[in-house]
Amino acid sequence: MPESRPDPQHVLQSLARRSIAVDLPTLDLCFLAALHLRAERTALASFPEDQLVDVFEQVVESVRDDAAPDAGPLRRATHAIRRLREQRMLARVDGAGVLRAGEFALTRLATGIVAFFLEDETLTHETLTVLTRSLLESLSTVTAAAREASTAEGWRTGVVGPLRVTIADLIAGIQRRQRGFDLQQEQLQREIAALLQADWFGAIERCQSLLDATSATLGDLNQVLLRDAHELQSALQEIQEIAADATDDAAIDADEASRAIVEQVDRIAAWGSARQRAWSEYYQYVHRFLRDVVRLDPSRVITHRVRECLAARSGGRFALTVADAPAIRLLRDVVAPHGERPPVKRRRPEAEPALAEEPAVDTQALLEAAVRAALSGGARGLADVTARVAGGLPAGERFVATGRIAQTIARVSRPDARAERPWVPIEDGLVIEEWVLPSWGPQVDLPGGEAGEAAERAEAT
Amino acid sequence: MSGAFASLQDAIDAEAFPAVDLALRRGRHVDRDDSDWYPFLVDAQPWLEAFYRRFGCELVHRTDGYFYLLPTGDRLGRRHLSSGEMLVGQALTLLYLDPATVEHGGVLTRDQVLAQLAGVMGAEALVRALNPKRRRYDERVAEEAVRSKVTEALRRLATLGFVEVVDDARVRLRPALMRFAEPARETGAPEKTLKRLVAAGELVLTESDADADETDETDETDETDETDETDGADEAGEWSPFAGPEAPSERQPLEPGDPEAVE
Repeated sequence: MPESRPDPQHVLQSLARRSIAVDLPTLDLCFLAALHLRAERTALASFPEDQLVDVFEQVVESVRDDAAPDAGPLRRATHAIRRLREQRMLARVDGAGVLRAGEFALTRLATGIVAFFLEDETLTHETLTVLTRSLLESLSTVTAAAREASTAEGWRTGVVGPLRVTIADLIAGIQRRQRGFDLQQEQLQREIAALLQADWFGAIERCQSLLDATSATLGDLNQVLLRDAHELQSALQEIQEIAADATDDAAIDADEASRAIVEQVDRIAAWGSARQRAWSEYYQYVHRFLRDVVRLDPSRVITHRVRECLAARSGGRFALTVADAPAIRLLRDVVAPHGERPPVKRRRPEAEPALAEEPAVDTQALLEAAVRAALSGGARGLADVTARVAGGLPAGERFVATGRIAQTIARVSRPDARAERPWVPIEDGLVIEEWVLPSWGPQVDLPGGEAGEAAERAEAT
Repeated sequence: MSGAFASLQDAIDAEAFPAVDLALRRGRHVDRDDSDWYPFLVDAQPWLEAFYRRFGCELVHRTDGYFYLLPTGDRLGRRHLSSGEMLVGQALTLLYLDPATVEHGGVLTRDQVLAQLAGVMGAEALVRALNPKRRRYDERVAEEAVRSKVTEALRRLATLGFVEVVDDARVRLRPALMRFAEPARETGAPEKTLKRLVAAGELVLTESDADADETDETDETDETDETDETDGADEAGEWSPFAGPEAPSERQPLEPGDPEAVE
């Protein structure tokens, strides 16, 4: 199965949920360091409980901690052991429970913390060369195994396993030493500043030698990184190519594992050039400082005078002169019109168009004529007349036209005034009352009569 | 004359010339960190010195490793640094001379500049110096105004090449800052040194603190200070060397040759 990388968001959420925290006072750190050193000296893998208490008492004696003078050493040792066990820095390894006193060992967390403070693990030309050579040798073995791998087991044991464990550990070793080197650089910069502050002119030689030594180291490291990173990349690429040609599923894991190593090698090489660049800037700045400031002002008189001038702000008030030419004005390009340019005139509004007489259109008369035509054409109901007259109109006008048709019919005809008039659907989802119309003949319009009321209802509908 | 350029025309034909010329005319100081411009100026210096002299200005090359154009006549525009720019410039010079800044390769923040100014001048004097027109002021507003003016001064000094903007929060000190220390470099009497520098057109003597900015008709920042007590809070905002108004300050200086200039 390919090893999936954990999602950083999930990892952070998990840490927060479990309220992970490390609280390590100086005394506890010294206690851990003492255990670590004793384990190394006596080749002990674990400590009996009474030995833990002994070591703690020795630590208290040697650091002369007065934080809790009232508590007895045994009691303080008990508390310290409890704190370290709660934080998973000390683990009981015997499994005897209540039967007898326990055996304790430092955990990976504790040894990591102690190693950070005790071991000077920084990148040097020698360590980097040894590590990269070991890496190349291991990779050549892995490449050979990849060439011969024909089964899933062969890929897993010969290629994937070494890539994920041996190679990854060697690369992690280089990265860890790179971080150590960064820390050393930071300390060196602090040291140079402190030297200058303490001994100004007298510190020049010492600063110069520190700068040159670090520059040489960084140059060497970068050279080794550039040379060996290229070889490492080639070896890894070969493994990837062999894995790509293989049909086995385990070869996919090998491809992914080598891809991850390639990324790490890239980061290692990038570290070298980034540090070289940053160091170059710092080196130039300090060099300039030594040459232009320290050498030219050995007694720091200039600093003193500038400080006095700034503090007093009296007498020699002055302002520096600097050039201040205005920016050049760039005129925009204009295309000149062909021929003679027209005179500039006020813009006149356009004249209103001339009006023409048009005959008025009486829409109501047209509607009435259409209704009459429909009635004389044999239509016998309001729905029929509406369909004939309004059917040809645009959809948006039909609703209004339907009401006007009913009004016109009520005026020109005499609909049957029954109590029950059915509602019938017409086009466009409209529903109207169905009026039964008598045979067509000229009618007298009776305002306020049944037809008038019917027309009013139709209008309202 | 010059190893790299056989004639003035060669120097002007060089690719770097237009950009360097424009920058110098706008008051930019060019130092070794300007990796293309500085070598060009070193090579073309003999030709360009004569060239710029015809415009009534001197191409100055200091041993600290920087060039700048110094107008000595009226043909090329010039200005004199404002009171705020001078204060901040001198504080930056002190920091440049301070070995503590070596630790970070000369990179520092606005807060460090403010701390330097307040440490050397005293907070009260700093507020007074940067708020010269106010007789009464609210402490909080005045402090905001100080922060705002220091930010603005840093921005202007960056355009002149005295500092380099690293990011929104930090600047890197540059060798041209040693111009602020020029009056303090000679061992003779300070008055004599100033007299010589004024005669050379390097600097002008200014009037008293309170009067210095009042004569400035274009200094918008100071004008608003007089009437608006909340302006400082509005202007201060987040620290960014690029923020703030654009108008350069211009004062009424005592010109070189003016008999009052060295009195």
